Amino acid sequence: MNLLTDTWFQIGRHLRTQLRIPVFIFVSLVQPVIWLVLFTQVFKSLSTMPGLGTSSYLQFFAPGVVVMTVMFGSAWAGFGMLHDIDMGILSKMLATPVTRASIIMSRIIASMVMLIIQALIIFIIAVIMGVDLATGVPGVLFAMLLICLLGLGFAALSNGLALLFKRVEPLMAVITLATLPVMFLSSVMMPADLLPGWLDTVRHFNPVDYAVVGVRDLVLSGYIWSDLWRSVVVLFGWAAAGIAFGALMFRAKAE
Amino acid sequence: MSVIVTYRLIKVFPGGIRAVDGIDFEVNAGEIFGFLGPNGAGKTTTIKMLNTLIQPTSGTAVVAGFDIRKSPAEVRKRIGYVAQDVGVDERATGRENLTLYGHFYRLDGKTIKKRVEEIFELVDLAGYEDKIVSTYSGGMRKRLDIAMGLIHRPDVMFLDEPTAGLDPQTRVHIWDYIRNLAKAMGVTIFLTTHYMEEADRLADRIAIIDRGKIIVMGTPDELKQSISGDVVTLSLVTAEDNDYNELMRRTEAALSDKPFVIRTQATDSELAVYVDNGESAVPSIMRLLASQSIEVKAISVSRPSLDDVFLKYTGRTIRAEEGAPTTFAQMQRKRIRKQR
Repeated sequence: MNLLTDTWFQIGRHLRTQLRIPVFIFVSLVQPVIWLVLFTQVFKSLSTMPGLGTSSYLQFFAPGVVVMTVMFGSAWAGFGMLHDIDMGILSKMLATPVTRASIIMSRIIASMVMLIIQALIIFIIAVIMGVDLATGVPGVLFAMLLICLLGLGFAALSNGLALLFKRVEPLMAVITLATLPVMFLSSVMMPADLLPGWLDTVRHFNPVDYAVVGVRDLVLSGYIWSDLWRSVVVLFGWAAAGIAFGALMFRAKAE
Repeated sequence: MSVIVTYRLIKVFPGGIRAVDGIDFEVNAGEIFGFLGPNGAGKTTTIKMLNTLIQPTSGTAVVAGFDIRKSPAEVRKRIGYVAQDVGVDERATGRENLTLYGHFYRLDGKTIKKRVEEIFELVDLAGYEDKIVSTYSGGMRKRLDIAMGLIHRPDVMFLDEPTAGLDPQTRVHIWDYIRNLAKAMGVTIFLTTHYMEEADRLADRIAIIDRGKIIVMGTPDELKQSISGDVVTLSLVTAEDNDYNELMRRTEAALSDKPFVIRTQATDSELAVYVDNGESAVPSIMRLLASQSIEVKAISVSRPSLDDVFLKYTGRTIRAEEGAPTTFAQMQRKRIRKQR
């Protein structure tokens, strides 16, 4: 009971903090639009390519933008924790009776709330730009589940790394180093059929790929359960592993 | 009645550093107890053990009636902690900061609302409840920081270097607040400091800690009276630096066997001469040194301070030990070292 109320009140704190930075809201809304417009222009000629599964690159790429936004957003989530460590907010909190788990849980959940809102807005903009949703609103909700699991894993991992390093520089280096390859080693930009053989193998070890395959099925084709079940199971595992790592680091490193 | 009792508290950090090396003390209900010592003496480590942030290597303590090892959760409900770094969320309002802590201490919404008003009044922040903390001055932030440790009316407040990094004027202000809080709320206060003046002005009783051990304990007056008489402080003139130590020795030898001298104590730059009566000792000292052609650069007479107490028991001054950072870059380095 205390865990729930503690988490609830801290989620409130985290969301208020984010909403008080107008630039942050502006950037997080405008950025996906830039992705959608810019990339579909750059890769316009790909629309005629075989294997895309659709005659419009926008249609193909929109699910990728949703997944990318969630991945980048949650990968940087650890900076909030780092701020609390740096400012002495965390150690002050730990001297109160607050339930320990609520401190990291509230951070991860608050990141999710922000990312779900962002993902929904991207879906709406994509539809306005002419994207067809094969599975309609229920499909979008299913896509949200996949996205949440992906984001949970990344956000928990990022928080865990923040606790491990306790410093800005290494955290920033690791996140920058990891996110770009993780995006390119997947079928976010290119359909799997067009990827070179080794990359097609590597992507099967990449949680981002499972998210994008699932969301893309839901947008382009419909409920392809053979893909979707695999995505759900793998992403559940990813989220669980991330949370386990985050929890472990919290216990070991939060003093 | 004792609010804090420690039993041979020891903390050894990885690498074998004995930060706290078997300390025993008691803090009585309602008193302000000061832990005075140079940086690195083990003050913060002690406070972190008492407020359950770190586990002792051995020994234990009872805080507000509960054992810090066996019932840390019960201890946390009854203490307030104000760390050296101001641990407030600058991007939230004062009220939001305080309300969040109210929830952590399981107070209901109505009680929190009432107490927020009371506490803002008490720490003289009334009217600033709904301003974002980043608009507060340094002193205001520290007052909010202290207020956050008070919302649940704790039995004990832990204040770790409450005025470190504040300007002298704000420092005096914060002292007043701490004194008033102790009186108004009947809360016992355990504070650490490396400012002698702070310990002297604020604390009912003081423990002087150095290298993980308590050297001496008592009221500020008792400690100062343990050094009888006055202190005559000399600094000397030398032609070359390298014979300064030799000169100090000669000076000490010239004075130490005289009947009016109780004790002498040399530091890097000065010689402290403890005498029964400072005013009458100065002419005799000057005459004695002149006869040995030792030239005096400056001479002063003072009542013994806590620094002299520290000097008497450790042979060093807190000031020299403390190595107070003077530039911003040094402060940054200190901060980085602390984080490691």
